[in-house]
Formats: sequence, structure tokens, C-alpha cells
Amino acid sequence: MSRLADLLRRLRRRPSLPRRQSAAVMPTVRYATSPLLASRTPPWRVKFLLALLGLGFVALIGRAAWIQIIHNDFYLKQGANRYERRIELPGARGRIFDRHGELLATSIPAPSLWAIPKDFEATPAQFKALAGLLDMKPETLRKRLAASNNFVWLRRQVDEGVARQVAELKLKGVHDIKEAKRHYPEGESAAHIVGFTNVEDAGQEGIELAFQKQLVGRDGERHVIKDRLGRVVESVGDKIPATDGQDIHLSIDAKVQFYAYQRIRDAVREHKAKAGSVVVLDAKTGEVLALANVPSYSPSDRSKLTGAQLRNRALTDTFEPGSTIKPLIAAWALESGRVRPDTVIQTSGGRFLLDGKTISDTHRSDALTVEQVIQKSSNVGVVKLALQMQPREMWEMFSAVGLGQKPPLGFPGVVTGRLRPHKSWRRIEQATMSYGYGLSASLFQLAQVYTIFASDGEFIPMSLLKRDPHETAPVRSPAIRTTDASVVPPFSVVASPVRWGEDVEGAPQVRGARVISPRTAQQMRKMLSMATGDGGTGVRAQTMAYSVGGKSGTARKQEGKGYADSKYRAWFVGIATISDPRIVVAVMVDEPTGVYYGGAVAAPVFSQVVQQTLARLGVVPDLAVQPDIAAMHDVEESF
Amino acid sequence: MSRVNLVLLLALMASCFWLVQSSHESRRVFVALERAQKQERILHEERDRLQLDRRAQATPLRVEKLARDKLKMSAATPAVTYYISTADMPTVPHPDAGGGP
Repeated sequence: MSRLADLLRRLRRRPSLPRRQSAAVMPTVRYATSPLLASRTPPWRVKFLLALLGLGFVALIGRAAWIQIIHNDFYLKQGANRYERRIELPGARGRIFDRHGELLATSIPAPSLWAIPKDFEATPAQFKALAGLLDMKPETLRKRLAASNNFVWLRRQVDEGVARQVAELKLKGVHDIKEAKRHYPEGESAAHIVGFTNVEDAGQEGIELAFQKQLVGRDGERHVIKDRLGRVVESVGDKIPATDGQDIHLSIDAKVQFYAYQRIRDAVREHKAKAGSVVVLDAKTGEVLALANVPSYSPSDRSKLTGAQLRNRALTDTFEPGSTIKPLIAAWALESGRVRPDTVIQTSGGRFLLDGKTISDTHRSDALTVEQVIQKSSNVGVVKLALQMQPREMWEMFSAVGLGQKPPLGFPGVVTGRLRPHKSWRRIEQATMSYGYGLSASLFQLAQVYTIFASDGEFIPMSLLKRDPHETAPVRSPAIRTTDASVVPPFSVVASPVRWGEDVEGAPQVRGARVISPRTAQQMRKMLSMATGDGGTGVRAQTMAYSVGGKSGTARKQEGKGYADSKYRAWFVGIATISDPRIVVAVMVDEPTGVYYGGAVAAPVFSQVVQQTLARLGVVPDLAVQPDIAAMHDVEESF
Repeated sequence: MSRVNLVLLLALMASCFWLVQSSHESRRVFVALERAQKQERILHEERDRLQLDRRAQATPLRVEKLARDKLKMSAATPAVTYYISTADMPTVPHPDAGGGP
């Protein structure tokens, strides 16, 4: 032991030996003491290696930081892909209601079935069962599966029950996807108003198209973690809530709409006509209560749809309004103080020569009062009134009641009609225009014109959306899915704000631009009621209990440049009741065969529609009715 | 010193168990919530479907047809309607207020 200590002491004393080596010398290792074995490694090499090692560590740490902290998106995404599942939250399309909250259109979930043909496997029995469930022949199904390798639709939008049964077959390669099918309980009667959507849930016609932006729902999504059993155990990140589309409340009354459709359909059938339309307007609020066209179609089965069925004739077809325009001329003649209702107009035997053209009447007379001119629908009388006016005056009157302008309904395909600028009118044109030729309008525009007589002289803006006198701004409608926080309560779409006033009895009434004075409107109502009274042209427009007034019109149809020989169009526009007008009704029948006069074809439809609409609105009859009730005051039953 | 460590260790263990327990509980509750929400959605869809069915059964077309064909009814006309005005109403005794058994 003492020897070893001695050796160590000696070693330390040797100055040539590097310190490091002396430290490395272990007591048991002897060879280090040999000078031959002494390392000649330069000190910088050790330092260099150490530095390299350190650098390696720094690189590793840097890389780790790069992956985990700075540039981690890729790996986060890859990780998420392995445990996260994305769930789509479907936003439902808004529903369409009538004015009383009856459903006109709604979406119901309907799964669509699809298949990957190359994965498809089924036993013959299963195959047959599948074809049966899909309502297809096995042959058709086989063909369909052969059409593509990767994807085929088996059937879109089936009932949930069918989808469940198909799922129970547990076929390989058959899948379903959630979709919604649009249903239209009102069917063909409201088809032109409501319109329809395609299979992708996009509006194609009518309100469905016009309000596509408001109706469409926005899908949301959320990310979740699912466990082994496929249950959602945790949600990850933010959820994008689904937004349901807004509900639309139309001004349409489903019952009135149905009556109107039924009546015009029957009339078209009875007269073997080509088509027909009815418009019912609320004269107080400017709402469209009904708008029906024949031929119509069933929105749920559009496989054999033709263009003729699709046409919303009341809004898209224009024609020369004929006699129905005469009251406007008379109204302006009264309003401008040129005549009074009892002013006598010389009608010179119902013939009038103007600039080489003869204007004639069907009913000959020598002199008529202004009232009688309207009652008998005298062309000569009206022309004589019109020729007292400047063309500008007439044009302004026509424009003020919406002729030559697009009705502001925001509805697809609405036409403007034709009204030429007054500067280009010749005298004969001014004359023919006064009895409704040389300008054109849709049936809806004609109905609109008559609102000025119904609402004491104001031209009320029309709306297809329900109006509420207490509502000035959009109001949050009651949420449909209040408990689920993911669904935002929708705003319902409301009609653009209008000015509200009160009528004579204090009921709310929409105000519009004044066209004629209330006094003139009253005088005109009297004339219109005379036109449907004894000696008038529209006797058949009368109803059993309500006073009505209106004008009939009949015209040869324009074909090409001239007028067709035996093709007519018959219409009637009127108001009810005369004492306190509630509604304006316009009826048009296209190409009736046999009788073709407006007073004979369209007026009866008007009468029936008015009768039923006013009863539906709860209007008390203003005419004395011969009661048909057996015993009105019977003895009270004892009980 | 070691006693303090022991207490801390025990506290740590308890906390760990508590954590496991509560996260399990939270998942369980979450699954229940999910299920309830799914149920809610299904019920909503069911309600929509039933509303549609009800409407489809009560369209004017169907009502009119049934009334005419099955019940032999006809449309009311003013001639067979007895109109009363609201001014007359107070004189009509309320069914509950009147005598009778």
C-alpha cells in the first residue's frame, strides 16, 4: 500500500505528463504509466468531438421544437385524422306557410341509397328483396349496378322505413346518405305560387325560387372523438352550428286558394278552354289571397311536366285588357272635373268615325250618361271621354295604377306588360287605348288596377307575404328548436314595411299613393255595380248575398300580326262588396269554346269565388237574403 | 420529512383516482347528452312528419270530397246561414251559466 502511494506521488511530480492522463490512471491499470503508451492526442480534438456531440444535440432539440412547437400543423392534422370524426349538422330548409299557418311546403328527412358496385355482394334472394324494396325490377337494378364501378344512386329520397329495411339486409357495398325531401300537401291548387325544388334542394319555381336565399339552411359541423363502439365521447374544437332556413308566411289563404283553383278548373273544363287564371286580392291590406292557374301540376310528381302546366299565367301572360280599362278613363274624366256621372255623352248610334277608322258599339244608342257608358260598355262613349284628355294625362293615369310596370312581388317571371310612351301616341291609338287595345297587361295587373276603386282611390302596394299591422320590423318568430342550442332561432321573412292607416270602421288598412279622390272612387263603385246589375254586361257576376261590381272583357286573341278568327279570351275583374270593398277578384278564361263572352264565361266564376271568399272571411252579407232556413225561431228544446 | 412525503404521495394518488373517475364520469354524461340530443332530433323529425301527415289529411280537397261523398254535406250559402252580430252576443246565455242538470 505504501508502495502504491509512493508511486502515485512520483507520478504527480513528473511535469511532462499531461494532467488528464494522470487523472485517468487508475490504481489497477498499470500500462498508462508506460511512456510508450502515453496518448499524443491533441487537446483540440477532444474539444472538437465534444462540440460535434453538442451540435448534434442542439440539432435534435431544434428539430423536435420545429416539429412540436413551430411547424406542428401537419402532425396535428395527421393525429386528428386518426381519432377525430367530423359530423355534419344538417340545416333544414325553411318551411312555407299560408296566412293562417297551414303548411304549404316542408322538408322531411329522406335517405338516399347508393352503392359501390364493385363492392356489391348479395345472394339472389337478397337481390330480389332489394329490388322489391327499391320498387324496381331486378333487371333494372342489375343494369343500374352495371352502369359504373365506383358509384351509383340506387334510389334517391326514399322513406325512412324503406332505408331501414334495406339497412337490415346488411348488403356489402350499399350505403345511405341523409337528404331531405320537400313535400307539398296542398298539391296542385297552390303549385304555381309555392313552386318546387329540385332533388338538390334548390328552388326552381315560385316562392321556392324567389326566396331561395332565405329558405335555404346552412349546414354546420362539429368534430368529435368516438370510442370503440362508435359512440361520441368527446367533442373537439369549436362547433359550427347549423342554421335552419327561414320560414316564409305567405299572404295566401289555403282555403280561398283551393276554392279559386277548383272554380277555375271546373270552368275551364266546362267551356273546354285551354287555360284559366284567378287572382283574389285583399283590398284593405294589399295581400294576395289566392292566385290560381289551370292547367296546373302536382309538385310531388313532375315526371310528365309540360311548359303549359308550369306557366303562372296570371303573372306571366299579358293580353290587351279591353273593356276592363274603361272605368279608368271614366274615373279620370270625373276626377279632372270634365264630367259628372250623369253628364250625357252623344254616342251617335254607336258609331264614331275617327281619322278614317270606325269605332263601333255592340249595343246601339244615341246618348248615354257617363254611368251608362260604363254600364253598357260603350266604346264610343269612352273614346269621347278620352279624346277630351291629353295623351300625357291618360299615360300618367295608366302608370299610376301599375300598367306597364312590373308588380313588385319579387316573384320569378313577373311581366311588365306594354304601355308605350305617350309622346308616340297617335290620336286613333289614344282612342283605342281608352277601350283597352294597344296596351297589354297581366291578369294580376288588372286586378291591381281595380284596387283604386276598392280602397277609396289609393293604389296599394301588393304583397305575396303576409302583412301584419302591428309589425313594422322583422320580428323573431318562435324558435322551432329552442332546446337545441345549435340551432339559431330563425328570423321569419316579413313583407316590406308599408304605411298603415284605418278604414271607415277603424280596421287597419294599408295606405298607398292617391290616384283618385274617395268621392270619385265611390262614384266608380256605383258604376261598376250597375255594370253587373240589370242592363249591364256582367249580370252573371252577381252573388246571392253580397253586392258586387266589375267589368267583363272579351277579346279575339292576337296571333302573329293580326287577330285570330275564332280564338277568344274572356275575363272579368271586379270588387266586392260595393258598400265596403274587401276583395278584388280577377278571372280569365283562355280560348273557351261555344260561348266566349267574359260576361258568360268568366263572370260566373267571379261570382262563386266572391261568394265563398267573403263567407270564408266572415263578411256579413250586405244584400237582403231570402232565408232558406226552415224554422229560424223554433221553440227552445227543454232539457 | 418522510411523513410529509407520504401524505403528499397519498394526496397525489387520491387526486389521480379522482381525475380518472371524473373524466370517466364526464364521458359517460357526454354520451348520455349525445344520445338525448339525437333522440331530440329524431323526435323533431317525427313531429315534422306528423304535422305534414296531419296537413295532408286535412287539405281542403280531401275535406270537401269526404264531406260531399261520405257525409252528404253541401256548401253553405248565405240562404241557409243565420247571421248573428256580436252586438247580440251578451243576451245569449253562456252554456256554463245557464241552468240544466
